[in-house]
Amino acid sequence: MTDTAIRAGAAGPKYGSMSRDRRWALRWSYFFLVLFAIFFLTPPIYMFITSLKTSAEISAEINPWWVFNPTLGNYIELLTQDTFLRFFRNSAIVSILVVTITMAISVVAAFALARMKFWGSATLATGVFLTYLIPETLLFIPLFKMFAWVNETLGIQLMNNWWTMIILYPTLTVPFCTWIMIGYFASIPKELDEAALIDGATWTQTLTKIFIPVALPGIIAATIFAFTVSWAQFLYPLAFTTSTSELVLPVGIVTTLIKGDVFNWGQIMAGALLGAAPPLIIYAFLMDYYIAGLTAGATKG
Amino acid sequence: MTSRKISRRRFAAGTAVASTALVAAPFVRGAYAAGKLSIGFWDHWVPGANKGSEELIREWAAREKVDVTIDYITSQGNKLLLTIAAEAQARSGHDILSFSTWLPAAYAEQLVPMNDVVEPLIKQSGAVNATVEYLGKVKGQWLAVPATIGSQMKGPCSRIDLLKQHAGIDIQEMYPIGAAPKADNWNLQTFLKAAEGCHKAGVPFGIGLGTTSDSVDTCGAIFHSFGAQLVNDKGEITVRSDGVRQALEYWKQLVRFLPPDSPSWDDASNNKAFVSGKSAMIMNPPSAWAVAKRDAPQIADQTWHHGFPSGPKGRFGPFLPFFWGVWRFSRNQAAAKSLATFLSQPAAVEKLVKASGGYDIPSFSNLTTLKVWADEAPPKGTLYHYPNPHNHQTLSIAAAPAPHKIAQQIYTQGVQTQMVVRYAVRNEPIDRVLGWASTEIEGFMRN
Amino acid sequence: MANIAAGTVRDVAGDNRSGLTKFMQRKSTIAFLMALPLLVLIFSLVAYPAGYAVYLAMLNKGMTRFVGFANFTFLFSRETFWMVVWQSCLFAITAVMFKAIIGFIVAHFVHNIPSKGQRKWRGMLLVPWVIPPAMSTLSWLWLFDPSYSAFNWLLQPLGIGPIPWIGETGWARFSVILVNVWIGAPFFMIMYLAALKSVPEQLYEAAAIDGATWWQRIWFVTLPMMRNIIAITALFSTIVTFANFDIVRVLTKGDPLNTTHVFATWAFRIGIEGNDIPLGATVSLFMVPILAVAAVFILRDITKRGSEV
Repeated sequence: MTDTAIRAGAAGPKYGSMSRDRRWALRWSYFFLVLFAIFFLTPPIYMFITSLKTSAEISAEINPWWVFNPTLGNYIELLTQDTFLRFFRNSAIVSILVVTITMAISVVAAFALARMKFWGSATLATGVFLTYLIPETLLFIPLFKMFAWVNETLGIQLMNNWWTMIILYPTLTVPFCTWIMIGYFASIPKELDEAALIDGATWTQTLTKIFIPVALPGIIAATIFAFTVSWAQFLYPLAFTTSTSELVLPVGIVTTLIKGDVFNWGQIMAGALLGAAPPLIIYAFLMDYYIAGLTAGATKG
Repeated sequence: MTSRKISRRRFAAGTAVASTALVAAPFVRGAYAAGKLSIGFWDHWVPGANKGSEELIREWAAREKVDVTIDYITSQGNKLLLTIAAEAQARSGHDILSFSTWLPAAYAEQLVPMNDVVEPLIKQSGAVNATVEYLGKVKGQWLAVPATIGSQMKGPCSRIDLLKQHAGIDIQEMYPIGAAPKADNWNLQTFLKAAEGCHKAGVPFGIGLGTTSDSVDTCGAIFHSFGAQLVNDKGEITVRSDGVRQALEYWKQLVRFLPPDSPSWDDASNNKAFVSGKSAMIMNPPSAWAVAKRDAPQIADQTWHHGFPSGPKGRFGPFLPFFWGVWRFSRNQAAAKSLATFLSQPAAVEKLVKASGGYDIPSFSNLTTLKVWADEAPPKGTLYHYPNPHNHQTLSIAAAPAPHKIAQQIYTQGVQTQMVVRYAVRNEPIDRVLGWASTEIEGFMRN
Repeated sequence: MANIAAGTVRDVAGDNRSGLTKFMQRKSTIAFLMALPLLVLIFSLVAYPAGYAVYLAMLNKGMTRFVGFANFTFLFSRETFWMVVWQSCLFAITAVMFKAIIGFIVAHFVHNIPSKGQRKWRGMLLVPWVIPPAMSTLSWLWLFDPSYSAFNWLLQPLGIGPIPWIGETGWARFSVILVNVWIGAPFFMIMYLAALKSVPEQLYEAAAIDGATWWQRIWFVTLPMMRNIIAITALFSTIVTFANFDIVRVLTKGDPLNTTHVFATWAFRIGIEGNDIPLGATVSLFMVPILAVAAVFILRDITKRGSEV
């Protein structure tokens, strides 16, 4: 009895100081979070401010952090422009198709590599990771040469076509997504598929009925990853497309809105914000899955 | 070669044509062009200039019954250069394409010779200047047609008021409208003094020292006016010459009066400095002024374009020609040549110059005195001296007269501006700078 | 497993049609077929062009002659090349380090606050990572602009500046790294946050009872528990940062004096802008071995740890 009392007595003040500590820790946390939020959000906010300005106001010598004559002109001009809508459309189609192709290839392959194992599968799994080490800056010049060959022998013109991106982007998304999925599948207990197989399920059934549902967070994470990558990709479209009808958003904005001398910054910023909107929206809704899936996949891999 | 081309054209037209007519009057050829033509032109920096060329192209296309697609390709971020490299490697792309400065020579082996287009044009509209010939003609062959669109001078573009106030220079008096310049005193020393005055007043000359073309061109012109060549026309490295040393010494004085971050300026920085009113002079074609007219009219009103200051070895103005080139793999070379000819006719040229607000300068000497430049305003006559109407400066390009492949590297890597930055900004010893430049250039001589 | 596979191969080599059907039903065959699209993709669009790049790197400038390793020896004799090596490493290492540190700190603070507010903060802090870098870098470019820098406008009343954000080597390197950190730190934050959540609360309680200071708690509890995820995040970030193209390309283009070039941008400058494709290919080839070394080290570390636990 006394023993407990003493202990409780001893614990009492300690808990008190701890909660005071906590309160201070909390204040400090908020303080620093606000600081970091300022750091992280300044550029997008500045983008937004600039996007509301006329070009005369942008070139004037006044407080750049304030909009004196707000206008939606930049947005209206962009959204009524065929070329910009075309960029948007190209980006959307490319990204959606790339994501679909990526997931089809990588989920199936990851399942084969993680669960079925065949001769060389371990090497292949490492190989998949290694392709991630080959940067696209190394690849685009040889690709020109290959495209020339394709054009001359098969008569298929791959240069200056937006759909070429659908062929190229998966090289950037598939290795990482496969790798994530291998990690995720590896974390699923072996008993699960063994039981299914004993019950007479085929491998395809095991994949579609058991693995895909269980690994859904991982799949969502990989999907979002693939979408982010294909939406943001810059070098390939820069190198392989030229006509305004074939450009995707990031390259379209950089090559058609920046005209060197002209103060198009309002439009550039408006375009960049509009371009950033789809991934922002997707993250806002699916962030939790993304985090869960990514961490599970990455740690187990 | 010629006969084969004619027969193909005849085939395309589906009618028998007297081949003498083709040789005698190049313009008639267009009538047999037909087919499809994909065009990749430089995306003009002057708002609205693309429209001018598009109208002309449509007019030509309607008459010749050619199905055209036009892409305007920006040079910002070197997208145009990348497109050209990509098409050369992929052996497919536009039928006719804008090639800036060094590119015709760089892709000489892959371009269709244009003697049959350029030579009649020279007969018709007068000779081209030495820089255009140096860049476009290799071993007696024209690799591409000197284009009006995009060809530009990078002479000074000054603020009348600021030069008066802070440098005591009346630039309008020095470069009067409709008359030859009275600019004998306008030399590098006066220029330096003016730079100092404007720097003190907080409106420094906006001269960049980056590796993009505006910076390189200015630097190159000053090098030329000291007779400073890094590589001579025989391909020998002449970095360690007196001219180069003098040029560097001059830059050392000048750099003190330039904006502190000039080493990273690109082609847009000087325009922004000018339009924002922070600079009394930049070296630029009239695009900065064209933008100022729209966004900052009070600054446009005070803008005057004029010639370069002279140095010990003469007065050199940077001239940046563009060309129209046709790939050997192009499927409609006949139509491409016809279009190039059409766009080089005096009437078309005048229209293009007008559409570009006087920015574009045709390469043919009879076409550099159009009324457009005298008329452009405000202030009236600001562009009169822009196309060098009185030939008082030698039109030049940085790194000339070195052999093309070396010169191109010197130019694109910005070797001259880098030398200036090393010597004048970073205060490296001159021998180290010269040593660095010559090893760099030795590297360019690989083939 | 390898035995079974080897058996399959022998069976097929052995003979006949029923063997073929059997072969088609074998687990390893199905698995191979399932992985086939991946293989085709990687071989045709990554491995083959990469091999082609190696071949290109051994041609002369005009791509007419095989020159062996001449391009490599030529590069080794270039001052600029060594500067690019140095700058690439400096860029990648510093950027990854700061991303890791900032990510860790921010994750910690987010973890500290009550969980119902966390989602909001997390979302806000993730924004830089979500905007396509080519676009967000444009806003930085505009913030750093020599004539219109909004930062310099803020600093002016304090008597600071104007700072040549991208105009002077030191500042330009700082700016390029800053933008990279800005884009990448949220990713670290998210990964660390998830890892923090997986650290059992009892461990902290135990540590608190033992009288551990907050620093000791981080050092002895948090960090060891997060070791794997720190390594893996750092690895991926190193790969992406090292091969970075957009940021430097949009922000400084390598200026001033080529001092901000990284491998990718310098390769672009030489190969495309300088019209020397083989040399450009040679430069970009250097990225691969350096990255591979990093990958081997970090992955080995992870597997070693994994087997210990």
